[in-house]
Amino acid sequence: MLSENKTITILSVLAAILFVFAFFMVIFYAPIEVNMGLVQKVFYFHMSAAWVGMLAFLMAAVFGILYLVHKDLKWDRLIASSVEIGLLFTVICILSGMIWARPIWNTWWTWDPRLTTVTIMAFTYIAFILLRRSMDEPSKRAQFSAIYAIIGFVTVPLTFFSARLLRTIHPVIFGSGEVDMNLNQPMLTTMFISLGAFTVMYVALLLQRARLMQAEETLMQLRLQTESDADWEDQADA
Amino acid sequence: MRTWLSTAWVLVWKDLVQEWRSRDVLTSMFAFAVLSLFIFNYALELSPIDRAEIAPGLIWVVMVFAGTLGLNRSFAAEQDQGSFEGLMMAVPELSVIYLAKMITNLLMMFGLAILVIPIYSLLYNQSLFDLRFFGILMLGAWGYSAAGTLISSMTVQTRMRDLLLPVLLFPLLLPVNMAVVKSGSAIIAVSAVPEFQSWINLLLVYDVIMTVVSIMVFEYVIRE
Amino acid sequence: MKFEAKKLCKAYGVQRVLQNLDISLQSGELVCLLGPNGAGKSTLIRLLSGLLKPTAGEITIDGSLADFSEAEVRRRIGLILHQTFLYEQLTGLENLQLYARLYGTRLTESDLKQLMVRVGLGKVRPVPVRSYSRGMKQRLTIARALLNEPQILLLDEPYTGLDQQGSTMLNQLLIEEKEQQRIILITTHELSFIRQVASRFDILHRGKIAESIPNADMSLDELQERYNIVVNNRVKIQAEAAP
Repeated sequence: MLSENKTITILSVLAAILFVFAFFMVIFYAPIEVNMGLVQKVFYFHMSAAWVGMLAFLMAAVFGILYLVHKDLKWDRLIASSVEIGLLFTVICILSGMIWARPIWNTWWTWDPRLTTVTIMAFTYIAFILLRRSMDEPSKRAQFSAIYAIIGFVTVPLTFFSARLLRTIHPVIFGSGEVDMNLNQPMLTTMFISLGAFTVMYVALLLQRARLMQAEETLMQLRLQTESDADWEDQADA
Repeated sequence: MRTWLSTAWVLVWKDLVQEWRSRDVLTSMFAFAVLSLFIFNYALELSPIDRAEIAPGLIWVVMVFAGTLGLNRSFAAEQDQGSFEGLMMAVPELSVIYLAKMITNLLMMFGLAILVIPIYSLLYNQSLFDLRFFGILMLGAWGYSAAGTLISSMTVQTRMRDLLLPVLLFPLLLPVNMAVVKSGSAIIAVSAVPEFQSWINLLLVYDVIMTVVSIMVFEYVIRE
Repeated sequence: MKFEAKKLCKAYGVQRVLQNLDISLQSGELVCLLGPNGAGKSTLIRLLSGLLKPTAGEITIDGSLADFSEAEVRRRIGLILHQTFLYEQLTGLENLQLYARLYGTRLTESDLKQLMVRVGLGKVRPVPVRSYSRGMKQRLTIARALLNEPQILLLDEPYTGLDQQGSTMLNQLLIEEKEQQRIILITTHELSFIRQVASRFDILHRGKIAESIPNADMSLDELQERYNIVVNNRVKIQAEAAP
């Protein structure tokens, strides 16, 4: 446990440093964008949050497969933690998107495909949490969590392609099509730093949350053990 | 392979006979669907032209909601009498149970569509009798049943049961919903949809992927 | 044939149900599993049927590990649990036909009708199982368990719902199955009935088979006495440990 502590502490500190660094870069280093003005700076964190949301979802599915193969509950803790964190960042992404959108498009919400996809992803996360709440037995709950994480993730690319088929007013950053936002070199650098910071933050939070979950479970088992029948002696082997 | 299919057929036959003798599910689904159409009529006070345009969407939405009634019941019999375990002891492979249930649910949706389309056409004086449109509805129903069967096999084992099914299922259905409505509109309504073929392809991809993945994970759902 | 479990353990988190359990069953043996409620009898039956996976230990058939993922292994087992496994809207015969098809047997309709006669349901009208009495459902469940001619019978409380006649019928069936060299493991509280057919009694207590009593000429009272001693051993220990 002690070595885990060290890794997590190092990661957390690193994440904090990177985040502060990225923050200052966004405020001072990145230039103000031509078309949109100051509010465009929300983009850096908005995009990073979206990235972490996706990454968390992907990792949840990966952990799901690992659980089904190995049946070790540590993968289950990682699935649950990843989903929690993913949901948090997805909500941050949506909210920051709204903050960005209001001055630009003059509306809080649009039925824009990319936004819709991300919101559906958030709903999948919420459904996942409800599923877990509705089950008490640990191994069955882990099994179902793994399955839903995998199925949920499989639908993400399909949802994305559906959204792409519909016309979009979401600013296209990369790929074909007109570019609504002009990104020059300092902006790209800032963006990558920001993405990196958020990714490290994700990993740190993931490990912290998983460790906390393990502590919670250990506590509950200890409680059960003291309450259960103390007459069970360990039988000597025949 | 042949035993696999014949086992699946036996299980489907069993479900159909059960349904035929009780007629619980199909009648409730039908009543729900028709009543929903009535509610929508008063909720969406539309001109005949607008209504004609949204007809495919409306039909599909009504089917999605009514379909949950059938999905919730798919595994009810097995859950109540413990037959899951009886089946598990007998069948050559567990995935055949999933396949049979998926086919049963698909047939339920088929029955629903056959009943609802004429009613809609009658009520709104708009003919929805189009074989291609029906085909699209069935492709959508396939995806719906594939995902729905897997999800309901899980929710039936939880505390929240029926309540949880729509919450878990609907986020997964977004691609299907979009594809059915868009391609359905291309056929029924006036507006042209340039990406028609893409929507159909998307639908097929979804159906196949969902079915394959579900078959692969199903044993983890019903085994301990 | 030998059907054995070695050092079988089953735990749900911290709660241990079975702990290093050993049990050995031979062809032609009918073993009655006794034990207080919650001792783990049903859990053991489920483990032996392959529906549950043990936390540790192994289950072997004739010395080699039983692979329950193989349909061939699963189909050698006839299982009765607390729930009937029956489909309420189908008739008795249709239920049997369904399972006969699922098991891949070649039983014809008349074979199945014979089976229904064997369990005392020969004169029943073709109505859905929904309208059967509890006793009739249990008889049909027994028929269902037998139709794939299983070499191993695992029966959890099979006398449930059966009246005097039904219990006698079941005993007759069990004797016939024993003569066919089947392996039979039964859990029940109906000592008076099971005494007539059992080869031995295994008492499940504190996660293990605490004692194995052959069904020699022993009166019902003597059997009850032995059972109480084994089970109440626990009470003695607690009294001694108290300061």
